[in-house]
Amino acid sequence: MALPVLELRGIGKAFDGVPALKGIDLSVHEGELVALIGPSGSGKSTLLRCCNRLTEPDGGAVRFGGRPAPSGGRALAEARRRMGMVFQAFNLYPHLTALENAALAPRRAAGLSRKAAEQAAREALSRVGLADRADARPDALSGGQQQRVAIARALALRPRILLLDEPTSALDPELVGSVLDVIGSLKADGVAMLIATHEIAFAREAADRIVFLAEGRILESGPPEEVLDRPRSARLRSFLRRL
Amino acid sequence: MGIFFDPEVWGIAWPPIRSGILITLALALASIAAGTAAGFALSLARTLPVRRLAAAIVVYSDAFRAFPPLVLLVVLYFAAPFAGIELSGFAASFLALALVLAASAEEIFWAGLTSVRRGQWEAALSTGMSRAATLRRVILPQAVRLTIPPLTNRAIATGKNTALASVVAVPEVLNQAASIQAQTASPAPLLLAAVVYVALFLPLVRLGRWLEDRFPSP
Ligand SMILES: Nc1ncnc2c1ncn2[C@@H]1O[C@H](COP(=O)(O)OP(=O)(O)O)[C@@H](O)[C@H]1O
Ligand SMILES: [Mg+2]
Repeated sequence: MALPVLELRGIGKAFDGVPALKGIDLSVHEGELVALIGPSGSGKSTLLRCCNRLTEPDGGAVRFGGRPAPSGGRALAEARRRMGMVFQAFNLYPHLTALENAALAPRRAAGLSRKAAEQAAREALSRVGLADRADARPDALSGGQQQRVAIARALALRPRILLLDEPTSALDPELVGSVLDVIGSLKADGVAMLIATHEIAFAREAADRIVFLAEGRILESGPPEEVLDRPRSARLRSFLRRL
Repeated sequence: MGIFFDPEVWGIAWPPIRSGILITLALALASIAAGTAAGFALSLARTLPVRRLAAAIVVYSDAFRAFPPLVLLVVLYFAAPFAGIELSGFAASFLALALVLAASAEEIFWAGLTSVRRGQWEAALSTGMSRAATLRRVILPQAVRLTIPPLTNRAIATGKNTALASVVAVPEVLNQAASIQAQTASPAPLLLAAVVYVALFLPLVRLGRWLEDRFPSP
């Protein structure tokens, strides 16, 4: 049995008294791809952001690599480095080239030499099929290419898990496939991933487990066939019908 | 017309005005450098998650942008001695100009910093970069584009406001011109001073125009 990389126990979060997450228990094991599905506003982004504490959870525990995840300081920064995050809006650094985007954290967070950081960035860019666009600025790249650079930026740090927040939701339909292909290939390489997505066909094919979130609670969780083909709750049935 | 350009009076006025140029330049450079640096430091301090500090900085910035520099200068020079603080004319002028510029520069830097979308902070923090490294490598390079043109304008205004120092007897260009004018009973020294000011600040104004073309505001 693979070891758990990331474990959430009883994670809760409220914004101005309004609960967004209510006692989330979830784990992602080595090499596992877990897909988070659920309506908009159900708490998917908040859940992902509580993992690396971009959003500070109100309660509960996060364990990372079998140990309690640090809650501040350098230890938190180090943990974040090992939990790559990919955002819906890419959030690439517009003033830097693709290579510089991917090399920045290896140099400034991991403390690699300039050469080693560039090497790591180049390897990551070729992994997402963009070795030939290393010198391009983000505004010269398509949305799909930008998101792949953002994935490379996370990969260059050799993360133990990737947290992806609707990585294809901001893309034109014809560009979605290129990004999902990259994610699929990372899965084949054994990269653990927790991904919020509306791409149900992709989730069915690539995910080991699907987790359905509604109003800040996990309502269903299991292998794709079970969750997608034999939904137990009315909420999930209506969610799947409306897609 | 001749009375404005009387060569004899220009000849008398030039040596003191020339020495005034050095003082004008020294005062301008010192207050621009200190004011910009202080404004930058304040804007960085305002990004720290310390509510009271941020609120205090906003109060400072608003108050000193509301103060006419001349009033501040006069208060520093003529009123401060009653509180036991004796400042030379130069020191009072430097302080007044730097304090006012710092307030404007803080707002300008702050506007630049906050113009960078939050996602940029989050992306960098999510890769394990420190707040300081994020600020230096990700946020500031993007913020700078927005700050350079207004900052240049404030620097020019500060440079021109050095003429206020003449009211507290700092022997800068205007003050020198005014004394020669009184001695000679001729307006020519004032004309010479006007020419000197244009010669001093026109290059800065041109630089500002060039920077505005290079860093157009979005
Ligand atoms: N920074 C925030 N401030 C206030 N409310 C928030 C914030 N982030 C999320 N929320 C609220 O929390 C709930 C869950 O949001 P989110 O996690 O973004 O859902 P999802 O990603 O599934 O669409 C929503 O009701 C949203 O309005
Ligand atoms: Mg979301």
